[in-house]
Amino acid sequence: MGGQVSKIMGKIFGTKEMRILMLGLDAAGKTTILYKLKLTNQDVTTIPTVGFNVESVTYKNVKFNVWDVGGQDKIRPLWRHYYSGTQGLIFVVDSSDTTRMEEARSELHKIINDREMKDALLLVFANKQDINGHLSPEEVINALQLTQLKDKLWYVAPSVATEGTGIFEGLAWLSNNVKTPPQK
Amino acid sequence: MAARDRFGAFADLGLTPVQRAVRHACDISQYEPNLALNLEVADLINSKKGNAPREAAFEIVYLINSRNQNVSLLALALLDICVKNCGYPFHLQISTKEFLNELVRRFPERPPMRPSRVQHRILESIEEWRQTICQTSRYKEDLGHIRDMHRLLLYKGYMFPEIRADDAAVLNPSDNLRSAEEMEEEEREAQSAKLQELIRRGTPADLQEANRLMKVMAGYDNRHKTDYRAKAAEEVAKVQQKAKILEEMLESHKPGDPIAEGDVFEELANALISAHPKIQKMCEEESDDAEAVRKLLEINDSIHRTIERYRLVKKGDVDGAARIPKGTLGTTTGVSKNANNELSLIDFDPEPSPSAGGSQQAMPAQGGNSLENDLLGLSMDDQVPSGGISLGPTIPPTNPLNQPSPAPPVQQVPVSSKPNYDILSSLSSPQPTPQAPLSIPGFSQPPQPPPQQQQAPAADPFASLISGSSRGSSPFSPTVGQTPPAMTRSGTPARPAAQPKEEDEWDFTSSLPESSSTLPSTNKVAVLDSSLRIEFVARRHPSHPRLIHIVGSFSNRTNQPIQELHFQVAVEKAYRLQLRPQSGREISALQQNGVQQEMLVDGVESGQGSSVKMRFRVSYVAGGQRKEEQGMVPPLGIS
Repeated sequence: MGGQVSKIMGKIFGTKEMRILMLGLDAAGKTTILYKLKLTNQDVTTIPTVGFNVESVTYKNVKFNVWDVGGQDKIRPLWRHYYSGTQGLIFVVDSSDTTRMEEARSELHKIINDREMKDALLLVFANKQDINGHLSPEEVINALQLTQLKDKLWYVAPSVATEGTGIFEGLAWLSNNVKTPPQK
Repeated sequence: MAARDRFGAFADLGLTPVQRAVRHACDISQYEPNLALNLEVADLINSKKGNAPREAAFEIVYLINSRNQNVSLLALALLDICVKNCGYPFHLQISTKEFLNELVRRFPERPPMRPSRVQHRILESIEEWRQTICQTSRYKEDLGHIRDMHRLLLYKGYMFPEIRADDAAVLNPSDNLRSAEEMEEEEREAQSAKLQELIRRGTPADLQEANRLMKVMAGYDNRHKTDYRAKAAEEVAKVQQKAKILEEMLESHKPGDPIAEGDVFEELANALISAHPKIQKMCEEESDDAEAVRKLLEINDSIHRTIERYRLVKKGDVDGAARIPKGTLGTTTGVSKNANNELSLIDFDPEPSPSAGGSQQAMPAQGGNSLENDLLGLSMDDQVPSGGISLGPTIPPTNPLNQPSPAPPVQQVPVSSKPNYDILSSLSSPQPTPQAPLSIPGFSQPPQPPPQQQQAPAADPFASLISGSSRGSSPFSPTVGQTPPAMTRSGTPARPAAQPKEEDEWDFTSSLPESSSTLPSTNKVAVLDSSLRIEFVARRHPSHPRLIHIVGSFSNRTNQPIQELHFQVAVEKAYRLQLRPQSGREISALQQNGVQQEMLVDGVESGQGSSVKMRFRVSYVAGGQRKEEQGMVPPLGIS
């Protein structure tokens, strides 16, 4: 009963729920972003994720259920298990790691070409903008060949995960662009 | 096609391809299940994986609950096909609470006088699943809800129809030989499906489990990882075991006895025949490992010979059968040796019949045993003469099982650098070739007494001859030369039981166990004596000292036929029980030994044969009444 009331309230006041999947190569900063979202003003130290983390973050009336799956090459084949029901994909790239940009591109295209991800929004965090020699968001767009994508809503947000800059701007874009009602 | 698309794009809007395929297959325009379309759906599910099994399962159950009975029946037929063809990922879905609740949604609280066709079919399906996948699947603990639903329905008073075991048998895991790759693939698939399901459910406990599973799947957690090559080797060993049993049975087969259809003979032979191409395929897969291929080919040859002999015996051509070289099962296989062996049996043996029989029995024994022990990660090499090539490090410290006895370390043989290599390559090694003690993680087999290897060559009086030709470099020939006097007459089944004592001393003659003489090696006990009579004939396996071979025979003592005989047996945890398929489920009125059940109890030390505790349970239908009886099996009364 109580649940139903809150559901109705949610409909009236527009509380949305979004399932977000956060992927990217290893050491791109996914877990740092996740916990920076969750624990806004605290310092975050992370270790390589073996497996996944999931947290829900409420921002601007939207409840984001963020799934952060480890990015090591051994885990990448398991990413596909997380696709179903995903409304937004956050792809995190290390903008300073120019040598692995091509690897990131191929992984990204692999993900968004999957049928289950065809309706998901794509948000790319060009992370680690504080490190010398980083690529600008435009350069990241080119490196990831995002302009070639058709029928895809995407956005590249520059970010510095350790300081928390840029990440809420990314979430704002997601919440503004989500259209499909959350699946049950 | 046009008829099927009658509803056009509108009806299909927003459906996934899987859902659309399900709708097609269950379209109302069909009068009966369209097998081709149903199989297409199954293929689609298998190829898409991921969420497809779930989508399909729920689409099907939605159609089962359709108002139109015809559609419901079509959907149930499709469900049946999917359960039988899509394997564990689909089983996982049909065992979810949601699915099962949905499946029985239209069942009234009280069972109707006469269930409708749809209800009947649903009950039948649940009963079928409960009797098959819930009992035999490798992952049956994931399928518990099916049993719960069955119990619930039973409690509510629903009667389950009888199912034909043959129809459902396809749901049981196949007995066929599988290679390492296939097993690994299957495991991966099951893990994938499970992960997907856990993530979908998303409760904290499930997520924790999912995280753990991911570690396993990504290869970070290898503690429980199965060594599939070892497993494959084990499977091959099973086939060899079958071949050996068949060989023995043929040996004791008297000319003139008919071999009936559906007999144990035929069953074994069929198993071997079906394993044959598999071994060839394994040869291809192992092609980078020449040694393993060679061994596999040898096994292949020997199985082939056994099958051939079976065919000839079946035709009644006993002489022809006898002409087939008898060296079987990894003992003296290989072409050159083979010729040798044949020669030795015919020409050199002073008393051909007994010792031919003797070597016949003893040779598989050691082949099989050395094989088994190697598979279990135990080294048999304690007794390798120190004159061997014992240079390198002795034993990997990881394997304490290597030394069941304080054997001087010098006797260990250098370790091969490729442990995997040995798993397969040692399959058929007839003599203790210098083999690395290999350690297979996760194996917790108790150390087996390793004497067979030492005696093995001796059991065949001509082993020295043979090894002289094909294994000239074998360091064992000298040893072998010394032992034959003790062992030439050792073809009796009791002898292998003597072996555990001979472990360390090299004195083969003096350590026969007393126990072997006090109790017979074969005994017959009556297990049950009601309207159904069950008798066990237990005997020590002639070639495996730790193995007891039991044949249970079932006789009907009533005037009514017994049907649906289901016999179950359990042993204490310390032993391992292996059941061969029951020879049938029906016994006609007053028929003696209408059904036979072979059992193998492994891990029974000699002398302990009578202390093995076994329980049994048997259910059957006699005169329209289902009966169930259970009890203890009396002491087997063998050594």
